[in-house]
Amino acid sequence: MAQENLQIRPVQTQSKSKVWGMLGTMQPTAYIGAAILLLYVFVAIFAAQIAPYSYKKMAVAPPLSQPSREHIFGADQLGRDVFSRVIYGTRYVLLLSLAGTALGLILGSFLGLMSGYVGGWLDEVLMRTSEVLISIPFIVLALVIIAAAGPGMSGNPLLLIGVIAIIYAPRTARMARAVTIEVSTRDFITAAQLRGETALSIARRELLPMAIGTLLVEFAVRAGYAPVLIGSLGFLGFGAKPPTPEWGLMISENRVAIVTSPWTVLGPGLALALLVIGLNFLTEGISRIVGRSVQRGPV
Amino acid sequence: MILRILASRTFLSLVTLVFVSMVIFIALDVLPGDIASRNLGRFATEEQKAIFRQKMHLDRPIYQRYLTWIGGAARGDFGRSLSSERTVTSIISIKLRNTLMLATFAFLLYIPITLILAIISATRRNSLADNTISLLTLVGLSIPEFLLATILLILFAVKMPVFPSMSVLENVKTFPELLRALALPAITLAIVTSVYGIRMLRENLIEILNSDYIKIATLKGLSSWQVAWRHAVPNAILPTLNVTALNLAYLIGGVVVVERVFAYPGIGSQLVSGIQLLDVPVVEAIVLIVAGVYIFSNLIADVFGILVTPRLRTK
Repeated sequence: MAQENLQIRPVQTQSKSKVWGMLGTMQPTAYIGAAILLLYVFVAIFAAQIAPYSYKKMAVAPPLSQPSREHIFGADQLGRDVFSRVIYGTRYVLLLSLAGTALGLILGSFLGLMSGYVGGWLDEVLMRTSEVLISIPFIVLALVIIAAAGPGMSGNPLLLIGVIAIIYAPRTARMARAVTIEVSTRDFITAAQLRGETALSIARRELLPMAIGTLLVEFAVRAGYAPVLIGSLGFLGFGAKPPTPEWGLMISENRVAIVTSPWTVLGPGLALALLVIGLNFLTEGISRIVGRSVQRGPV
Repeated sequence: MILRILASRTFLSLVTLVFVSMVIFIALDVLPGDIASRNLGRFATEEQKAIFRQKMHLDRPIYQRYLTWIGGAARGDFGRSLSSERTVTSIISIKLRNTLMLATFAFLLYIPITLILAIISATRRNSLADNTISLLTLVGLSIPEFLLATILLILFAVKMPVFPSMSVLENVKTFPELLRALALPAITLAIVTSVYGIRMLRENLIEILNSDYIKIATLKGLSSWQVAWRHAVPNAILPTLNVTALNLAYLIGGVVVVERVFAYPGIGSQLVSGIQLLDVPVVEAIVLIVAGVYIFSNLIADVFGILVTPRLRTK
């Protein structure tokens, strides 16, 4: 991942008012991003009120019917309302993306902080392990984990959360470690050591605040990619299981109807793309506030 | 000094690859359920299972099996497929060739797209063109590849049938036919990867375009395109190499989804069917190759960086 090659500058501690001041200089894309995300959160919370039909009720419309006033995106093969399924899908995707990213980030920053601060064999072991995991591309690693978990776990939301966390944790750990190493030679860390604080408490009270800006951007970048990961796995048939209204799965289910009713595919696709666009726009805004450029690559 | 650094980098890469192989082997070995009963079906007798285990050497301890496997892998022998009687190497080599073909085509599209758009963007900063390109790349990196692939499929294979919707390679005889069959997946991959390249190169170019020697070149009377091409690009390429290495690695390994959309017979599709069939040797081999490519591309980018940047040699 390109993130590893970043030069990480420690974040300047900014007063609240300064942060608010910077909000004013933020690019409009950041506001658009925030608005899109808020819209999704709103839709996820009130999905049951917004969706005209249930996500699993079949034959509410003729199978594969065209978009109409009652069925904005038409109906799928089983006559389910695609629009309602897209709406309900927001819940699933948002929840899993956030939970997985958060878990990966917490795990990763904890390991990274400890690795950078304690050093020695712990550092060696953790960094070798993370390097191994990073050497396997996202999707491939996800597929291996899902295969290793076995058919019994397939479609389990907890497995997907775990997959996202395992993919993100080593990458986050390396970032947190880099920040920690840069910071840990500073005087206030020595002072804390002289006060007799334990490694854990130094990590939490002295190092974490210094790394928080970097980690925030990291969270935003990762959260932006999590829906893609969930969608890709669903599309390949290794993610959510029917009748879960997950967008990637819906796209793969409705692909047979791509010629006759393309909106059954484009609808969920649009929902997924717009969410990721929103998250990425917001990330750009956050990274400007924090003063760290986001550089990324695929894999 | 340089040689020592290069040697240690290469050694570290090999160590990582060995660890990767262990992790893959162990992870897929602890697969829940017995490989024998899974492959022979529920109604297999104990005797059949025992014979199967013996044939596949499953009765030996794991470290022995690992050593046999990795020893074979080093010589290009990945054992036998569980789902067919063929050797893994014979199954994979064709698929690997197909994926390499696709990746090469995509990469050849990637270079001009990235260079041209990044230079336009960086030399005309904050112009309409720059803003459009910035917005498009940001949107581009937000669109999952399977979605982009599906949209291109709808547009260019269904609505305007310019390209085939499935990349069947069996009937391909001439080179133009091959290009047509590869076009849609290659274009998808080129777009997905160049989005990252453009953003990276643009940022690097802007930094360099602000330096003094560029100002002098401009004062000499060179056109902005000449300044960019002759003075800025050579210096901006280097930091972009890392992203390009990642892109290359991605082209080999991350193509799983794109290959799947176009039913392209590459290692990505093979990996997915290997996992569906629980064909462990096939999966192990593909993951190892993909990780190897990733580690190797990064090593190349590193080494190249060290060779052309004296600053990096001191560490």
